[in-house]
Amino acid sequence: MLNGLDIEGNSPLHRLPVRGKLILLFVAAIVLFLLSDLRLLAPALALSAALYLSTGIGVAEAMRRTRFVLFTVLLVAAANYFFQSPHEGAVVFCRLSTLVLLAAAVTATTGISAFMDEITRLLTPLERFGFVRAADVSLAVGLVIRFVPEIFARYGEIVAAHKARGLPVRPLTTLTPLIILTLKDADTIAMAIDARGFRRH
Amino acid sequence: MDIVFSAATVSYTGRVALQPLDLRLCEQRIGVVGLNGSGKTTMARLINGLVRPTAGTVTVGGLDTVEDEQAARGKTGFIFQNPQHQMILPILAEDIAFGLKNRGLGKAEIAERTEAVLARFGIAHLARRRVHELSGGETQLGAIASVLVTGPDLLILDEPTNQLDLKNRALIERTIAGLPEQVLVITHDLALIEGFDRVLVFHEGRLAADERPAEAIRTYREIAAC
Repeated sequence: MLNGLDIEGNSPLHRLPVRGKLILLFVAAIVLFLLSDLRLLAPALALSAALYLSTGIGVAEAMRRTRFVLFTVLLVAAANYFFQSPHEGAVVFCRLSTLVLLAAAVTATTGISAFMDEITRLLTPLERFGFVRAADVSLAVGLVIRFVPEIFARYGEIVAAHKARGLPVRPLTTLTPLIILTLKDADTIAMAIDARGFRRH
Repeated sequence: MDIVFSAATVSYTGRVALQPLDLRLCEQRIGVVGLNGSGKTTMARLINGLVRPTAGTVTVGGLDTVEDEQAARGKTGFIFQNPQHQMILPILAEDIAFGLKNRGLGKAEIAERTEAVLARFGIAHLARRRVHELSGGETQLGAIASVLVTGPDLLILDEPTNQLDLKNRALIERTIAGLPEQVLVITHDLALIEGFDRVLVFHEGRLAADERPAEAIRTYREIAAC
């Protein structure tokens, strides 16, 4: 259940400091949005896929983790294909897919705790201006990463329960209990965070 | 440490979860029993400030749980019914260290205190394990370690042997018996509280009995039989 999204390993990406990975991801995002040449974007997509697989995640798990987001990317690209031009559709697909795979590679090679520590460090200077509470932001990011696999696992359990009872799997009857149970869990987790005294203000 | 309830009452939208409670607790081992929905978890959460009294006050070591919320909470550790719910991070050592963050401690001190508490409960070999891979007893020990690492004076456990097999139940019972901290246990496991100093029985939001374990358990059995 409480799985996180990082996988153990010793790939070059695993060894890279968290800050380096986040900066590279940020720079890559800017560069990708400046490029519109398919001769550069297509190799970038291939490279990002290779980088993701170099983490040791395996093709099946990599596909399982990214398929929902890539499907959304495909829809956006299709809209561009039909309403703009085929070239624009291909550019959008390559650009966004590359970014998704790079982000997935960073997530797969970084522990939640390390992520939270780094985000806290990066945002702490902003606390002086009263913009944010760095610890709260890092906690929020950590919880999102930590909860993603749990929500998917819970969805799997609800679908299995439907099948066990011979019920058809419908979005309304699966998503409603998923949302209710997730919100209920969120309440308990929030209480646990308070009980452990993390938010000291 | 003294825990004092002064006419402490809890109501939720017209329903009274806990009738006015006046009580002073200072014993080392306190048990709380009662049927489901009898108000025992609400009473325990008042001590940690997780629930605020709608009337009256609760003080822990002289600190009001509303006015001195953070300081009072620092004196109390809380283990939830399902300890998986309080494991915030996926690796046990990281989760234990989580409770020490945001307290102005250095990395070295956090690591040192984490190692010390893992060793104290004999679970140093589980430090790098993922929490979802731990057995029921290991998860409960990990949760206790993650709370006690912050050094509370009082540990509250909400049904700590619930869902555990006999072996893990015995392990948790031994662990609780060996804790130097003051302990308050909410439980349906009557064997767990037989040797305690004091047992409170709650029924329909009221304190129905406050006695030595043998008498309190008898009262609870009578209530349950009705």
